[in-house]
Amino acid sequence: MFSPLDKLLTNPVRLMVMSVLVKVNICDFNYLKKITNSTQGNLSIQLKKLAENEYISISKSFENNYPKTRCTITKTGIAAFEKHFKALQSYQNLDL
Amino acid sequence: MNHSEQLNLINETIDKTKDQLKPTSVNFIFWGILITVLSIIHFLFPEYVQRSQYSALLFWTIIPVIGIILTVIYNIKTRVRMGYETHLNRALKLVWGVFNIAWIALVVTSIFKRQNPVEDVLFLLGVVLLISALLIRFKPLIIGGGAVFVCSLILMTNSEINPMLINAIAAFAGLFIPGLSLYFSKSNV
Repeated sequence: MFSPLDKLLTNPVRLMVMSVLVKVNICDFNYLKKITNSTQGNLSIQLKKLAENEYISISKSFENNYPKTRCTITKTGIAAFEKHFKALQSYQNLDL
Repeated sequence: MNHSEQLNLINETIDKTKDQLKPTSVNFIFWGILITVLSIIHFLFPEYVQRSQYSALLFWTIIPVIGIILTVIYNIKTRVRMGYETHLNRALKLVWGVFNIAWIALVVTSIFKRQNPVEDVLFLLGVVLLISALLIRFKPLIIGGGAVFVCSLILMTNSEINPMLINAIAAFAGLFIPGLSLYFSKSNV
């Protein structure tokens, strides 16, 4: 039996965001936008979905009068990402 | 996306978010030069540095504290420019933050004990350099940390030798040279 894939993480933008956040302590919105090659609107929607499911936490502040959005992965997010990654590996092993 | 594409996407994304070691190397180079120069000035002109009871203390606290402020500003700017902070960068930041506090505490307590803090500071520096070297897996820094330990042992066992001379050698071998080799290395964790 193979564990089912996390539907929230099958979206490429959300998967990339989680892949970055699992490696870093804290990450700016602009870096996520650059690495996901996504538009501001789309990335905001995907981040909101991840935050609603408590996979990430989002903090907003102002720096030099500019809004600054920073994201951090939560324990729930790490557990979900690890489960999803292990499930993907088990599917790949099945191919071999 | 199928599972293979997802796995590739995860690996590629994680690879793109590298631990940037160049900013770390700039810190080592800066402190290597600063401590070497301060030690040489103290070694060559002790009559000026030790003119009054507290002049040496002021010399060894005011300038390094300015150095700490400059490196903190540089590291904050680097972090803002990069857009992220990796777990490794955070660990290094905490280790060196604790070292700075311990270093100032050692210098201040040495006044009350009326003893030279160089050998204690070098021992502490050797420990922190080795921790950093093992975290970033960089051999020249391991050798540098070892060199600082040796300098600390020389001072502990030989009271005749001038501590400022050993301090200059330790800062040059333990901070400046590894920092320079880290700056020019292509290693990114």
